[in-house]
Amino acid sequence: MGEERGPGGAVHLLCLAASSGVPLFCRSSRGGVPTRQQNLDVQLSSARTEDTTVVWKSFHDSITLIVLSSEGGHSELKLERLLQMVFGAMVLLVGLEELTNIRNIERLKKELRASYHLIDSFLGNSELIGDLTQCVDCVIPPEGSPLQEALSNFAKATRTAFVSLVVSGRVLAATEGWWRLGTPEAVLLPWLLGSLPPQTARDYPVYLPHGSPTVPHRLLTLMLLPGLELCLLCGPQPLLSQLDPQLLESWWQPLLEPLRASVLLGPGALPAGFPLHEDILGLLLLHLELRRCLFTVEPSGDKEPSLVQRRRLLRSFYSLVTSTHFPPEPGLPEKVEDTAQKAQVPRACYLVSGPEEPGTGWRLVALQVGPRRLLLLLSPQSPTHGLRSLATHTLQALTPLF
Amino acid sequence: MAKPPAPGSVLVPDWHESAEGKEYLRCILRKSRRRVFGECLSPVTSVTCCSLQGAEESVGKGSLVAKAHKLLLPSPHHAKWLPRPSTGIQTTVVFWPAKLQASSRVVMFRFEFWDCGESALTKFDHMLPACQEKADAFLFLFSFTDRASFEDLPGQLARVTGEAPGAVKMVIGSKFDQYMHTDVPEQDLRAFRQAWELPLLRVKSVPGRRLADGRTLDGWAGLADMAHVLNSLAEHLWHQDQVAAGLLASSPENTPD
Repeated sequence: MGEERGPGGAVHLLCLAASSGVPLFCRSSRGGVPTRQQNLDVQLSSARTEDTTVVWKSFHDSITLIVLSSEGGHSELKLERLLQMVFGAMVLLVGLEELTNIRNIERLKKELRASYHLIDSFLGNSELIGDLTQCVDCVIPPEGSPLQEALSNFAKATRTAFVSLVVSGRVLAATEGWWRLGTPEAVLLPWLLGSLPPQTARDYPVYLPHGSPTVPHRLLTLMLLPGLELCLLCGPQPLLSQLDPQLLESWWQPLLEPLRASVLLGPGALPAGFPLHEDILGLLLLHLELRRCLFTVEPSGDKEPSLVQRRRLLRSFYSLVTSTHFPPEPGLPEKVEDTAQKAQVPRACYLVSGPEEPGTGWRLVALQVGPRRLLLLLSPQSPTHGLRSLATHTLQALTPLF
Repeated sequence: MAKPPAPGSVLVPDWHESAEGKEYLRCILRKSRRRVFGECLSPVTSVTCCSLQGAEESVGKGSLVAKAHKLLLPSPHHAKWLPRPSTGIQTTVVFWPAKLQASSRVVMFRFEFWDCGESALTKFDHMLPACQEKADAFLFLFSFTDRASFEDLPGQLARVTGEAPGAVKMVIGSKFDQYMHTDVPEQDLRAFRQAWELPLLRVKSVPGRRLADGRTLDGWAGLADMAHVLNSLAEHLWHQDQVAAGLLASSPENTPD
């Protein structure tokens, strides 16, 4: 895919057992090559540059995670949230008990290998943004789509409260129970699916870091179409073999057309033909109470900058405005700004990336109204005096979606 | 249980290399890459389930299935799919056309491979019964470079024979190409064959050839690598079905349909 990181940039992640300081693993964003622990020193010393940011966090007095980033523009917020996601990923696949009560370091290291793929996806250039926003990446199904009803009926039939349809790591439709999953599992579960190689079906034991960190649930995934998976979070029932192809066909074959249409939506996030201003190159809409987001860099995809660059711009802009301008998000334990205002007051800010002469520099505008926060990336042609009204109109158009 | 059929007695061997065979294979490849079939799109004609058994994570079960399926959809972060230890049960569907000797009819087999990570099997009680339930065949994997995995086979075979006496059993030795490091000499294999009378196949573990782009696995080459395993599996399963349906006695001769 030719992802370019910032010039010379890399992110290194190190996990240690807090009490003994024994390294449990080391991951790096450089080409996704896992770093062997005996080469630990060599790897870390290569990250010693002037621009290296280091953030560390200890979890339950048992696990310490350290991240070193030599990429430009990495804020502390970004790195702190990365560590929270990484620890969440470790709990998801190994369980909190194993991490807080380390009886056998070698066995724990072996078990943690199962989480490498997921952790590496946080260090790479993902199309998703839930790791940073801690809101679930969503896709809006075509209007009037019968998918939601079919999903609810399927959930009743299988007696499972937690069922969802996931397209390329984004939630397309879900039961109420699934939407009520806490952070970080609400973000981690679809993200996990997006990071795994395709399989027809899976039956994975998972621990929910917020809801059930020591007692595992079963995550069943069934590929309905390439790129579209049906997910169930359940106890001992139903067995995977009970969800056989004949049963699934009888439920989902009638919905083949809307399902196929939804697969194509994936990175676009919005229904096909949703009217967006032509200057919009990227969009991030967050609903901070529902903890869901829409993220797309597809509009006018043939124009500069590249999709990878657009994502990077929006991610950096999000980190900037979240940590410095907007009121702290509900439910997240972060620093409270002295000048924080009530969330009902609309707030907006914009940033031009590059010189401010007309026709140059990407425009980034952010607007918050109530629980919704909208960030837009706009082309250089977009006049700066019109940014706020453009953002306001776009937010009004998007508000019915969630 | 009836004696296993002699190789090539049920299905036309090397049929996949014939012009006719290649036409059928084309429908499971698209532009020389394996297609991914989802549940809803499966053209089901023959449904069988196989369970992969292997002592150690590193035996190569994941790679075996990956090779048979020849899936190479680049993840968002890596150009190559890297095998990883599985944390639970994973199933993969593989389609394989084969031509019957007796009737010259072509049957499309749909294999559902069930694979479970060893650490998950030991940690969670429900995994093993879930994998073994309704399985038509068990594939026992060992690695030529890991003696312990070979020595574990009798124990595994005995357990499965007790629990599922009617199922097809096949043994597959992986990493056969790493002959410099082999820990399992020929005479041990011969002794094993004589003791158990089970088909024993060998597979390489090198990544398959790639297409001109240097990244995508060559689907045709991958199929050629795995054809003997899939043919053998199809042959044994078809024979087993025939015996179970009372169409055959203990001899492997086919009756015309």
